[in-house]
Amino acid sequence: MTPVSGQRAGAPPVRMGPRPGTSSPGNYRWVYLWHWPIRAMHWAAAASILVLVVTGFYIGRPYFMVSGGTTGTPYLMGWMRFLHFLAAGVLVATGIVRVYWLFAGNRFERWRALFPVRRKDWVNLAKTARAYLFIRPREKPEYLGHNPLQQISYTVIYAVTLIMVITGFAMYGQSNPGGLFHTWFGWVTGVFGGVQSTRLIHHLLTWVFIIFVPVHVYLALRVDLLERTGTISSIISGGRFRPANVKYEDDRPEE
Amino acid sequence: MIIPDSYPWELGETLGEHLERRGISRREFLGFCSRLGVMLGLGSLMGPSIMEALAQQRRPSAIWLSLQECTGCTESVLRTADPTIGDLVLDLISLDFQENLMAAAGHAAEAALHDAMEANRGSYILLVTGGVSLAEGGIHTMIAGRPAVEILREAAEGAAHVVAIGACAHWGNIQASNPNPTEAVGVGHIVTGKPVVNIAGCPPIGDVVTATVAHILTFGRVPELDADGRPLFAYGVRIHDNCPKRANYDAGQFVEAFDDEAARKGWCLYKVGCKGPVTFSPCPIIQWNDRTDWPIGAGHPCIGCTERHFWDTMTPFYGRLPGIAGFGIESTADVVGAALAVGAAAGVAAHAVVTGVQRARHKPDEIEKEEV
Repeated sequence: MTPVSGQRAGAPPVRMGPRPGTSSPGNYRWVYLWHWPIRAMHWAAAASILVLVVTGFYIGRPYFMVSGGTTGTPYLMGWMRFLHFLAAGVLVATGIVRVYWLFAGNRFERWRALFPVRRKDWVNLAKTARAYLFIRPREKPEYLGHNPLQQISYTVIYAVTLIMVITGFAMYGQSNPGGLFHTWFGWVTGVFGGVQSTRLIHHLLTWVFIIFVPVHVYLALRVDLLERTGTISSIISGGRFRPANVKYEDDRPEE
Repeated sequence: MIIPDSYPWELGETLGEHLERRGISRREFLGFCSRLGVMLGLGSLMGPSIMEALAQQRRPSAIWLSLQECTGCTESVLRTADPTIGDLVLDLISLDFQENLMAAAGHAAEAALHDAMEANRGSYILLVTGGVSLAEGGIHTMIAGRPAVEILREAAEGAAHVVAIGACAHWGNIQASNPNPTEAVGVGHIVTGKPVVNIAGCPPIGDVVTATVAHILTFGRVPELDADGRPLFAYGVRIHDNCPKRANYDAGQFVEAFDDEAARKGWCLYKVGCKGPVTFSPCPIIQWNDRTDWPIGAGHPCIGCTERHFWDTMTPFYGRLPGIAGFGIESTADVVGAALAVGAAAGVAAHAVVTGVQRARHKPDEIEKEEV
């Protein structure tokens, strides 16, 4: 590992990047990682997942009711379902963008970045996981884009999203037998052992997002605070800073 | 009502002649046929055509086997809405064998079955209630000293059409539910090579049986079926989409517990486990007991009895989602999910604390260095 400025023997077990002021501005370069379709897709997916979780839990177990008589009552479940299906449409759209960008994007965005490819990356996966467990954190490999642990967890999230979408469509299709969704996604209920099991899986996997989001946000905040290279900014502006003295595992070979 | 030999068919007599001789007026018969047309989704204007086709039938023979079942389906068919229709169903066909209703018993009954099969080989309609058991050579359901599965195979071989009535004949029903000790299966599992119409339900609505038989007699073929062999005219739509409580569902008005204020107002039974959203059946439309009521109308959630393996897949009947095996009987999806989420949140918090502590411990050194 490249030592960073200010480090000495018995340095902190938490690896810290160079702080502003320790290096001259010339030692930083701004690298562009995420094209706008990826950033737009990220935030649209985040918003739609939020809506889907909130409305989905209402649909699964209507947790509040609006008082009122039998007349003049709100179309509460109706709206919840409408928003749920609308947000599902947005999420599917983001998925289509992401799949397209797996083939159109740069090397940080392409399909090869979905999982560790090189042997070195699998070794780095273990090192990264160790570092997050506070074991030899200074051996944590640096990546400009996603590190192997990120790659795997985001790919798992994509897979879970795919299962959510197909199970959702399968249930959606039930209201119109012989219709498009019923015809295309009818096999899903067979695979999952019936409509009720499909519903259970759809319901259970919601919790994956509820667990993933705080962990994701926490780790993003943490790396932003520790390394000070504009990690969080990268999903807004598209790029981050790279100090000249840090070696990156996913750098261009010629660089 | 159906005592097969109370009004015996005369040789060569058509159904029209038979009904006339029995004193059923043309108007009555036309009314029946028009209702059938509506039920089959063909419209009441098909009534005269159906009547014409049915009146020309000559003693279409039917054999009704009762296998591994409780006879509830027979009860249901006998209670078709209109007694005249009830008579007609069984007069449309010459019901040559029905153990529960026929006068004969013992050897005489077995002889009747044998004679009916021989006399009408290749042309009779086989109606089956009840499934068969396969374990240990099928000895768990024995009739007249023979395993039911053998009787079914033999009867199905000579049948022109096979109609499986009720959940037992459809897929085996409660006998076939986990752990299925007798290896019970439905008729469709045994009978291959000819279409088996599954009149799903525990029990099914009698009128659906009537309409299916009438369809076979009118058109000479079984009605259009869904992927599970159920007639589309009856099982083509979800209960949820035809439910009179659907407006309460859409409005977010739910019964929380039986006997609460919402239950008295007749609100939606979704939260007390109604399986209407996953069940395909004409219950809300045709209803039961002379169209007076049906389970949801009476304030009980649908248990999904027209769906395969409903004892295993639709339970708990008073809960929205299945329980999760291995997490304890009381654990539901949300309890498990919440436990995992709390664990993850605790992990995040602990991780943040460790990060902060380690960072704080080494910070002074670094700041000192930096300021140098």
